[in-house]
Amino acid sequence: MASTSMRQFRAMLRKDIVMELRTKEMLMSMGLYSLLTMVVYFVALSQAGSSFDPRDIAAGLLWLAFIFTSMLGLNRSLVHEKDQGCLEALLLSPVDRPVIFFAKFIGNLIFLLIVEALTIPVFAFLFLQGNALDSGALALIPLVLVAGSVGIAGVGTLLATMSVNTTGKDFVLAMLFIPLMYPLLLGAVTATSAAIIGGPEGVAAFWTGMAWVVGYDVIMILASYGLYEFIVGA
Amino acid sequence: MRSTTTRAFIALVVGGVLTLAAFLGAFFWAGVPDFGFVRTAERADSVRYQGPFEQAIDETRYLTNFIGYDVEVVSGGETFRGDLLEADEVHVTLQTAEGEVRVSAAEFESGLVRGSSYGRPDWGQKIFYFHVPVAEISFIVFGFAAFYSLRFIMTRKREYDTKARISMEVTLLFVLLTMATGILWTKAAWGVWWDWEPRLTTYFIMTLLVVAYFVLRNAVEDEERRALYAAAFSILGFIDAPISFFITRLIPSNHPVIERGGLEPPMLISFIIAQVGMIAFGYAIYQLRMGEVLLKDRIEHAKTLLER
Amino acid sequence: MADEQHSAPALEVRDLTRAFGVRKALDGVSFDVPERAFLSIFGPNGAGKTTLVKVLTTLLNPTSGTAKVLGLDVVDDAVEMRKRIGLISHNPLLYPDLTAEENLLFFAEMYGIEMPEARVAELLEAVELDHRRLDLTRTFSRGMLQRLSIARALLHRPEVIFLDEPYSGLDPHAMDILDGLIAAVRADHTFVMISHDLDKGLELCSHALILARGRLVLFEPREAIDDSAFRRTYRETVGMGVA
Repeated sequence: MASTSMRQFRAMLRKDIVMELRTKEMLMSMGLYSLLTMVVYFVALSQAGSSFDPRDIAAGLLWLAFIFTSMLGLNRSLVHEKDQGCLEALLLSPVDRPVIFFAKFIGNLIFLLIVEALTIPVFAFLFLQGNALDSGALALIPLVLVAGSVGIAGVGTLLATMSVNTTGKDFVLAMLFIPLMYPLLLGAVTATSAAIIGGPEGVAAFWTGMAWVVGYDVIMILASYGLYEFIVGA
Repeated sequence: MRSTTTRAFIALVVGGVLTLAAFLGAFFWAGVPDFGFVRTAERADSVRYQGPFEQAIDETRYLTNFIGYDVEVVSGGETFRGDLLEADEVHVTLQTAEGEVRVSAAEFESGLVRGSSYGRPDWGQKIFYFHVPVAEISFIVFGFAAFYSLRFIMTRKREYDTKARISMEVTLLFVLLTMATGILWTKAAWGVWWDWEPRLTTYFIMTLLVVAYFVLRNAVEDEERRALYAAAFSILGFIDAPISFFITRLIPSNHPVIERGGLEPPMLISFIIAQVGMIAFGYAIYQLRMGEVLLKDRIEHAKTLLER
Repeated sequence: MADEQHSAPALEVRDLTRAFGVRKALDGVSFDVPERAFLSIFGPNGAGKTTLVKVLTTLLNPTSGTAKVLGLDVVDDAVEMRKRIGLISHNPLLYPDLTAEENLLFFAEMYGIEMPEARVAELLEAVELDHRRLDLTRTFSRGMLQRLSIARALLHRPEVIFLDEPYSGLDPHAMDILDGLIAAVRADHTFVMISHDLDKGLELCSHALILARGRLVLFEPREAIDDSAFRRTYRETVGMGVA
């Protein structure tokens, strides 16, 4: 039974990746969207003056970009399941519903991480040049990135499965997503910010934020996993 | 039909009487609390910041709320007294009779807030008797909504969806009441309408969750799907709210808390009466809405029978 | 077909009700369909046809009553049952950004089919699409999509095939191909078809069923049906009056 599920999981994931590599729809739209966000950031910070230290808000700006780009991608990933009724075909096949959840969740996570990995160097190049950064603590950033993205993709998959069936998909997703994501965002920004500032205090604060993010991931993904079966079949 | 209306009416009367009683109790019986029970700005004249400045830093945000107040700061064995002009992590600036005095972190020994430099009426604290019960009940009703949502997901019976939805409507009402009373109090006590302070932030998030619930409901066409989605979201929201609540402790707070030692009897009794009154009030609204929905269902049922 | 009465019924529906609150999509529907039968379901929009098929294909649970397909309960044995039923809908249920072959291979994996490549090649040949197997289905015509969708539905050799208005949107040529494909597997499968097209539905069926407002108006084997009386009943339920 487990091997059947594994086979189905792999097939679904491979299908999503093949389709994405073919159309590059999600990666392109998310990547360009995050670039556009950078332009908006530049305009927003243009009057801040020279005394302003971008490191103070770098973490917040990064997660802001991630949260908005991820919503774009999440919507896309479910829209093409829905478009020609493919989701119905999936539900008709003898697949356990959680397999669908995990396949979609992992697929979204992979695409999200790729976009984040591309966004960070661009962000650093545009905003953080010439600022001394504590390279020791910076190495911790990938950890919080992965932990945060796990939460975004996990809860987001459930919410996108709902919002794809609503009128006004994008708005509904944002309305459901952002308040639910608030604890994760706060924890992730705290941790990322601490890692950018660095030093022993920064490392301690990093782990506090990280603990929150991981705790949130565990609780909310369990809940999403439990609820998914009812949502996807509705 | 009659039963829900009757229950609603009784609850409304009970709620009204108790709320009125609590109002009278709060204003004519209960005294203004001493500092130590409820930390409110108007009784802050007994706050003394002792010890190294770093400890006082934790209270800096608190201290900034006393800008314009008459304060006493001990620094280098000398005592300065005057209006607080500025307070941040490095300096405290006072306007004394001799002119501006700037006390730096290194020299700060202790501080005393002597009280308001302008005469603010004491009744600001009285909102406690209404704000706190309303806020507590909003959490309780949210809990009911999540409970009914869970029941709905398990049984798929429409009555649970109706109960969950109406509970959520009551939650929305109480959340908005809490926000309104809270904002009034913040303006009176802290001098600002809004502050991104942990309790307020968490509560703001909860308000958004409740609003999102109704946005979601309105965006789904199919009735059963709507019910399922809404149920799933209210459960997620109910799990999310406490996480938001606790995580916000990462931000320092100056929201008043009832400290150990409790309230004096007149205050406590008025508070409890207010709480029971608010519960009755919430229950009345719940029953009224329920009666309305049941009536609509009966009309719907009659319609389908006529169509046959 | 003489032994029809003796074989176990393919569909066994007992007092099936599907309701949410006071609104009933299905209201006490009962009928039996023997194996290898062809059931046509007629009825006006909103009569509950789609709901009935969704319940029979395990996508929706009944509120009360029971439904069994091939002796398997739609609620308790849902997973087992899904392996033995197939659906051809007016929606192709295929991924436009995958090739014909990839689409079939993907669903073959979902059904856990042994030696998927061979089975997929065999089916592509059967629906005459092997020359287009490496093309994205996005580029396919409506008729080709429908043929591929039939191949998808037959991948796991289902015993009961559900057809949800399969003819809607098809040009005459594609309809002929679909007819041919159905005829080819007609003898050893049970069919359940939702149709708006009375002629087509009556031509193919061995049993006919009319639903109106969630209730069973009529259920008869083909032999017992008097065409003109049936048409009259159908028109009355659709609410068009007697023509």
